[in-house]
Amino acid sequence: MTDPKPGVALAPRLTSEEAEALARQSSLRQMGVRPPLGHYIRALWGRRSFIWNLSSSRAYVRNQGSYLGQAWTVLRPILDAATMIIIFGFVFHGSAPGIQNRAAFIVIGSFAYGLFQGIVMAGIGSIRNDLQLIRSHQFPRAVVPLASVMTETVLFGPIMIAMVVLVVLTGFLPDMGGPVYPHWSWLLLPVAAALLAMFSAGVALFFARLGARTPDIANVVPFFLSLGRFASGATFSIAGLTAAGSWFRPLLLYQPVQVFLELFRSVFGNEPLIPMSPGLWLLAAVYAVGVFVIGFLFFWGAEESYGRD
Amino acid sequence: MTDDIDYEIDADNLPKRMKKRPLGAPSVIVDDVHITYRVFGARKGSTTQTKTPLLNRAISLGRPDTGPITEVRAVRGVSFVARHGESIGIVGTNGSGKSTLLRAIAGLLPPTKGRVFVSGEPALLGVNAALLPRLTGERNITIGGLALGLSMRQVREHTPEVAEFAELGDFLYLPMSSYSSGMGSRLRFAISTMQTPDILMIDEALATGDASFRKKSTERIEQIRDNAGTVFFVSHSLASIRVMCTRVLWIDKGLLVADGDVDEVCDAYDAFVKGRTGASAGANLT
Repeated sequence: MTDPKPGVALAPRLTSEEAEALARQSSLRQMGVRPPLGHYIRALWGRRSFIWNLSSSRAYVRNQGSYLGQAWTVLRPILDAATMIIIFGFVFHGSAPGIQNRAAFIVIGSFAYGLFQGIVMAGIGSIRNDLQLIRSHQFPRAVVPLASVMTETVLFGPIMIAMVVLVVLTGFLPDMGGPVYPHWSWLLLPVAAALLAMFSAGVALFFARLGARTPDIANVVPFFLSLGRFASGATFSIAGLTAAGSWFRPLLLYQPVQVFLELFRSVFGNEPLIPMSPGLWLLAAVYAVGVFVIGFLFFWGAEESYGRD
Repeated sequence: MTDDIDYEIDADNLPKRMKKRPLGAPSVIVDDVHITYRVFGARKGSTTQTKTPLLNRAISLGRPDTGPITEVRAVRGVSFVARHGESIGIVGTNGSGKSTLLRAIAGLLPPTKGRVFVSGEPALLGVNAALLPRLTGERNITIGGLALGLSMRQVREHTPEVAEFAELGDFLYLPMSSYSSGMGSRLRFAISTMQTPDILMIDEALATGDASFRKKSTERIEQIRDNAGTVFFVSHSLASIRVMCTRVLWIDKGLLVADGDVDEVCDAYDAFVKGRTGASAGANLT
């Protein structure tokens, strides 16, 4: 192959220092650098309708291509919960000592954990799934994982209604401690869900940065999520099953996901062992805000690198 | 990526030759930019390799010849200064790094090394803007407009105009996966021309649709070009470069080989392409 040897001279090349000086002199701005945090948050706020539109379109596309369509959004968690009720409610009777309605306990734990799991999984792949969008347009990259988080959160609305219905139905199961009566505190469910979504969004943003550069993360995280399902007592009682003096008991009881599951259960108010307390709400709020801020800052820290392969 | 098909423009469809405008202040400074891609799962020469004995393969297991990650050096140290009022054409063979360079200037692909300075918000006008195939055309216009940075109200105002320009008819309300490839690229073009940026980059945008749409899109680009400060234009069509540009950069294998007057560089490039046999091997692997 011949080498191109054009008879045209190159324009004189600037050194890096000269280029920088010229850029400053004509007040140009450097591309592909991370914007300051304040600018970034303002730009992100300006794109809120973009986040909303992207997430609602995603939700719409989600279950297309099956006969039951959107119904699967609600059916899937119900089937998950049913599996857990069969195993931990009927087969292992001792899975939740002191708990009157094991089936309701499992339904709430399994649905709430499902929200956490869904949001984290959506966050991990978000940057890689939307690489084409990222490479075609310029916008604060946090739009992409936040839209995924928003999709999961909005879809949790109907799932939450199914959860309430299911909890009421468990009252009619034999051996499960009798009927569950509606309580005023049920109105706080959306608040609890919003706090959990905020916490999960922080975790999702954290993993979105890791997953953007290292796709392998998407294979490792499901393992930790199923470990987390058991470490958070989604289907059995940690307080009732761990030995009183063991070193990991406080660790498991006060780790954030377990706190959120307890919060959900306390909102239902049907278990004397899990009362609603201001301390629980405070702890949940601290976890939600703290983890979200950390996750957001971590994601912003690599803003300039998203889209690179 | 862009399909690198060479659609030569009919001579009578071309607009009048660009007049040189007076040069203004610098609008884009590219300082020694390098861009390296990582490609997963690629192995050098795996398709042409002869079979090695089982024992040898067992020994080298886990140490494949180049490893599972191959680096592609798409752009290797390009520097130039563009000024307001310039229309700059970028030429080069397939895989020479033209589109990659353009993406770096637009801030979409962060350079591995080097810096890019710009004034204002650059916009890449492409036929390859990302769209969601399972959504309707209307929904895609909304998302595309919002991605461009328009407000919801502006998007709503522009939607009928974009739909009309893309000539979709009732297909506007069907999922994009049901569109013909021409409809898809017309819609992409229409969406990406919704606003007029300060620095405009056009990537093969003229290679869209049939003759009548091409004429329409050329007019649209001219309109945008008149309002934009600096225009970058990537094309394989030397005819359209000669007409639309006032300066040409020639990139080969990620290096800038020529930068100067339109006719001089185009002639040299033309001679190079004609003297070459077979397709280019593209970027260098390391």
